Amino acid sequence: MTQTAPDRAPAALDEPRAAARRPRRRRLRDRATPYVLLAPATVVLGLVLGYPLVRLLVISMQDYGLRALFTGVTPWTGFSNYAQIFTGGQFGGVLLRTLLFCAALVGGTLLIGLLVALMLGAAGKRMRTAVTICLICAWAVPTTAATLVWQWLFEPGYGVINWMLTKLTVFGDLTQHDWFASSFSAFAVIWLLVVWQSVPFVALTLRAGLSQIPSSYYETAAISGAGAWTSFRIVTLQFLRPILLLVTILSVVWDFNVFNQIWILTQGGPDGGTTTLGIWSFTRAFSSESFGQGAAIAVVSVAMLLVLTAYYVRRLVRAGEQW
Amino acid sequence: MKPRSRRVTVNAAATLFCVVWIFPVYWMVNTAFKPYGDILRPTPRFIPVPLSLGNFADALGKPFFGDYLRNSLIATGAAVVGGAILALLAAVALTRFRFFGRRAFLIAVLAVQMIPSPALVIPIFLSLKSANLLNTLLGLSLTYIGFVLPFTIWTLRGFLHGVPVELEEAAMVDGAGRVTVIRRILLPLVAPGIIASSVFAFITAWNDYLFAYVEMKDQSHYTLPVWLVSFSTSTGTDYGGLIAASTLFALPVILFFLVIQRRLVEGMTSGAVKD
Repeated sequence: MTQTAPDRAPAALDEPRAAARRPRRRRLRDRATPYVLLAPATVVLGLVLGYPLVRLLVISMQDYGLRALFTGVTPWTGFSNYAQIFTGGQFGGVLLRTLLFCAALVGGTLLIGLLVALMLGAAGKRMRTAVTICLICAWAVPTTAATLVWQWLFEPGYGVINWMLTKLTVFGDLTQHDWFASSFSAFAVIWLLVVWQSVPFVALTLRAGLSQIPSSYYETAAISGAGAWTSFRIVTLQFLRPILLLVTILSVVWDFNVFNQIWILTQGGPDGGTTTLGIWSFTRAFSSESFGQGAAIAVVSVAMLLVLTAYYVRRLVRAGEQW
Repeated sequence: MKPRSRRVTVNAAATLFCVVWIFPVYWMVNTAFKPYGDILRPTPRFIPVPLSLGNFADALGKPFFGDYLRNSLIATGAAVVGGAILALLAAVALTRFRFFGRRAFLIAVLAVQMIPSPALVIPIFLSLKSANLLNTLLGLSLTYIGFVLPFTIWTLRGFLHGVPVELEEAAMVDGAGRVTVIRRILLPLVAPGIIASSVFAFITAWNDYLFAYVEMKDQSHYTLPVWLVSFSTSTGTDYGGLIAASTLFALPVILFFLVIQRRLVEGMTSGAVKD
């Protein structure tokens, strides 16, 4: 896409020559046209994304609490919000939890997604359709609806999962088990939910990539004596690399920011045990009315995400040099 | 492995996967259609007989349901239509003109997509508050348009690159103005791109919980997701109504996805840079 961009824009290159033949007014109008076309989008982007981003940084250095909300007076406090976050004793735990949960989600989604993609390629036509339909159903259920269904599936007393696990008779009577009473099992339930929802995109995207691999590559590998594992490693993985990179980065970004599922199911509990950076920022701001600290946590998490995705962003910007 | 046994293994794995993956959706629909008394049974029923629509009536009969539906439809419609129009104009500028600031704009659009939206909830809340736009559909619609724009611009830009400029030049030689060119030539050719990005915009706005939850404080201003969640916490154990409402909320999207499934992956990945 990026390589072909220059030769695909001949109109733009011809523009000066064509303009020279036109009267001056027309030329002025032509020069203004792109800006006029861009203006509405720029205004909305600036209002909804640009300005809030700057404001986020500003608020994170202000004493922005309940008083500021009513009086409008927001004293400048420099880095004290950050200092309070880092020294409050919670930061390390929340950060570790966020990173581990994100890693577990990304790992699980990619592994299952890749296996499903390979399975789609190996399965017959009818089986493939069945799997695709199941994937699309799971993908389409809106997050809130899926989260509420999850709550119902794991409901102590009448949840069907509890009932089925009890029927297995391996774990004893789990019908009354409250999954959200311990942070580990709460995370496990949320992990299942997020993975259930994210696998479809990853699997179908990887499947699209797999179907692009010419079969002659596998034949060559087989002739050269490569076993199934070797040919998977040298043909499949090599070919999939750019797509794998893309879905990995997207998964990291999405999973780092999982919010709705945690908020609706546990609100960060029990006892802060499922509080990730996003939940922490939100509760500092909207439950404790300390918008300054909430903003500081958000800034820290944006910075962390940038570090995590730096490699990809650098590649994008480098590709941008050819635009 | 022999081909035969390999096929059996693959089919068994695929079957198992299907059962596990479809189960939550099946259980949602199953619960929604059960008669009220059958939902809270120590031994769950796996087939909803006798079929009952009582839970749906229960959900639809809740006060303000019409308002929630309307609010969701308006905000989502604004995101889809507004996003598409603004993005199309911007994409035309980015692909058909060479001007100062073009590259900077493109980089900004890409960079902005890396910023997690939950991080912006605090400043957006405070900004809308000082602009007196909290609790209004205008504020919420603006938020959604802003969030879908970067992706939509990027997608449409890709599609516009694929439309040969000669077509437009020919039309202009024949005396067509810029507006006519956009309307009669570009629009029909980039329609697939508009559809792909509209799907994304629809999902973003229709599914959003966080921003609607923070911005809309009056109950009559809730959107469907906010109402669904408040439904769950305020009524405790009314799972029949809750799950029926979730089904109503999810089914249109599921059907829509199944209809356009071929374009889904294409649409989702076209926004990201490919190598």
